Amino acid sequence: MNGNTTTPLLSFRGLKKSFSGKTVVDGISFDLYPGQVVGLVGENGAGKSTTKNMLCGLLEPTGGQILVDGHVVERNEGHAHGISAVHQELSLFGSLTVAENMCIGSMPGSRLRIDWREMERIVREQLDFLGMDIDPHATVNSLGAGMQQIVEIGKALLHADKVLILDEPTTSLTAVEREKLFLILDKLRDRGIAIVFISHFLEEIYRVCDSYIVLRDGQQVASGQLADVTQRQLEALMVGRSFENSPDTIRPVTGSCEALRVENLGSADFRDISFAVQRGEIVGIAGLMGAGRTEVAEAIFGLRPATGDVHVHGKVVPERSVAGMKRLGVCYLPEDRRVNGLFLNRAVRENLSVAAISRFIRRGLFKLGFSGERQATQAVVDSAGIAIPHINVRVDALSGGNQQKVLLSRWMATEPEVLVLDEPTKGVDIGAKFDIHTRIRELAEHGAAVVVVSSDLPELLQLSHRILVMRKGRLVGEFSREEFDSVRIISLAASVDDKVA
Amino acid sequence: MKNTIRTVFTRQKWLPIAIANVAFATLLALVSPAFLSLSNFQSMLVQSGVTAIMAVGMTFIIITAGIDISMGAILFFTSALFAQLMLDTQSYLLAFTAAMCCATLLGAINGLLVIRFRMSPLITTLATYSIYRGMAIHMTGAQNIPVPREMGFLGNGRVMGLPVPIILLFVIVVLGVYVLNHTRLGVYARAMGSSARSARESNLPSNSVTVLVYGMGGFVTGVAALILLARVGGLQSGIGIGIEFTVIAAVILGGTKLTGGSGTVIGSVFGAFFLVLIDNGLNLLNASPYIYDIVRGVVLLAAVVVDRVSARRQEQVLSALRASRLDEASSSRCTRGRDGEQALLGQR
Repeated sequence: MNGNTTTPLLSFRGLKKSFSGKTVVDGISFDLYPGQVVGLVGENGAGKSTTKNMLCGLLEPTGGQILVDGHVVERNEGHAHGISAVHQELSLFGSLTVAENMCIGSMPGSRLRIDWREMERIVREQLDFLGMDIDPHATVNSLGAGMQQIVEIGKALLHADKVLILDEPTTSLTAVEREKLFLILDKLRDRGIAIVFISHFLEEIYRVCDSYIVLRDGQQVASGQLADVTQRQLEALMVGRSFENSPDTIRPVTGSCEALRVENLGSADFRDISFAVQRGEIVGIAGLMGAGRTEVAEAIFGLRPATGDVHVHGKVVPERSVAGMKRLGVCYLPEDRRVNGLFLNRAVRENLSVAAISRFIRRGLFKLGFSGERQATQAVVDSAGIAIPHINVRVDALSGGNQQKVLLSRWMATEPEVLVLDEPTKGVDIGAKFDIHTRIRELAEHGAAVVVVSSDLPELLQLSHRILVMRKGRLVGEFSREEFDSVRIISLAASVDDKVA
Repeated sequence: MKNTIRTVFTRQKWLPIAIANVAFATLLALVSPAFLSLSNFQSMLVQSGVTAIMAVGMTFIIITAGIDISMGAILFFTSALFAQLMLDTQSYLLAFTAAMCCATLLGAINGLLVIRFRMSPLITTLATYSIYRGMAIHMTGAQNIPVPREMGFLGNGRVMGLPVPIILLFVIVVLGVYVLNHTRLGVYARAMGSSARSARESNLPSNSVTVLVYGMGGFVTGVAALILLARVGGLQSGIGIGIEFTVIAAVILGGTKLTGGSGTVIGSVFGAFFLVLIDNGLNLLNASPYIYDIVRGVVLLAAVVVDRVSARRQEQVLSALRASRLDEASSSRCTRGRDGEQALLGQR
């Protein structure tokens, strides 16, 4: 902002990071001056987290240079270089007091006695500096999310006070708490602390930052002063031109038989969610992380308590549960397939047949076990293009794409009439993604109603007949295929106000 | 006023069990006047002493979200080692030093196993329970060994009119309260139990803390072992069987959460005393000795249920808070700069 004449606190030159040969981030270069606030923006998976971790020294870059105070350093030492980070998930101790939390890294006093007075003095000074009126003796879990965030910032600045990195600091805050945080950031900037602000919300970027860096697919695609760029241009930079390509044609919905209807679903994490899905239709739900999409999907299957009704084929489902929904032909593929969907230490064969195992059970006096399971699963493996040596391979030995195909095939074997998929292609390579998309389309063409929750907007644009947009627990928009416009959808999902940018 | 009371209760987690103690004691006093005598109270304190001393160590372990099932076995091993050494060498110095060092070491070994192999403390100490007890039986050949008569001083002697076990308990409790509340070790222990992930991210010396708290657990068990040995008059094969459960019950009754993070030494001592109070009450009622265990179990179950219910209520409050915040977030708009500050001043 004002520090172009001084040496930068921290500089990156052509930073690069690869994980087992796969480059995730490539060519990040920027200078951070005292009192500068940089907004780091990009879509989910653009490489923001990796960049952040290299910034605060948690990850070692595989290429490029780091300069601290104008000198090249071998390793980013994080704290020792005055760099501290506040991660999305706070590292606080709920049952400890504010003072204990802030000082836990370096307690005043000797080995045999903590100097509580000194600790209180340090904490009060720090809280005064932040301009916050928090009782140092209050336990942290008695504070709201906003206060906790500020305690974490205070804790971070006690250790290192030159560069502060904030990763999505506002996701759990209310409007008032958020504004309070911004005032504190303004104050920190005025005292010459450099801030890296990572956020999905462009309005927030404009509110607190003076310069920006846009990441897309691990590349730094643009950087400069925020004053020189409009929000719309920034959105276009984030999304990229390639996504504007017209998606493949998909077969329109035939007939109009309603398969799934959700009415006024509400809980602590979302409100007034109502939508309907026709047979043969693919409906995408777009939104940012934390918008409540996964929570809605889980509520439909009774995995979390919610008010409101779910209708399947026009009938209300009295008590929602995964098993009950399955009997109605409604299947759910959770987001974290490794935790929620697959039996990792069991064979592909068992994973495939488990949902339809009752079909293979042989009954009779001297007949036990499952007949036809082997042949049936082999057929599934062949048709789904799952690349495995044999069907008794353990699932945890498979790649992410193949695991997802196993899970998808399992549910398809039950011939579902409604399928809800949460992030079906997360962490999957391009080829597998294509296969999975084809399978989803086939299902819809056979008359299944499909709901796809995804953070990958191009995927939704390609796959769905209709896209619903969620923001902060509410449905805020609906786009039919003719109206698809990635920039409009993103800005609707990310805006703070209700009016569309 | 109501809020102040609530704050006091949430801060001073030992208060409910202290009140339960007073209430129950009052009830017993009403039923039987003999209950109120000084000698009865002193004998109850002495009875609860062994459990209470061990509970101080167990409190630290449970606060770090650990547990030590092997405490009874450590108690037995220490007693056996002491009795055997006294029998063989007649040297108090040697027997005392060896017993205390060994008790601390056995506790520390539990801690080392937990951190080295990242095993569940429950399974780890279940295994060492069997190992330690087996070692002790092997060492003594499963014989009962009497200890010299003057050992009785530790169990029944008095200094300045106060029973020795009570003095020892007092010293250990004071040390325990101090370490838990005024040293880094105490803060780190609470922090680790509160969030292991945050402890890792904050670079806390979790491994040393783990070994230290289990070692301390072993040490106090050693003290308890010598008192018990003195009171019983010699090594018997039944010593320490099931005592770890009484100790854990005392700690849980005292308001320490099994999930770790919070708890008080004082609460655990009150918990231990409450269990003796129950025995005393049953004794006054001439209840069958077989009923004792049933009643103890029911009381523990009740304490855990109360704890769960209050935890769930707390969760509900949090969830309601989240929901109201959602409304607020969608109704209020982002205010900027000066206006924002004004809005904030208005809100406060």
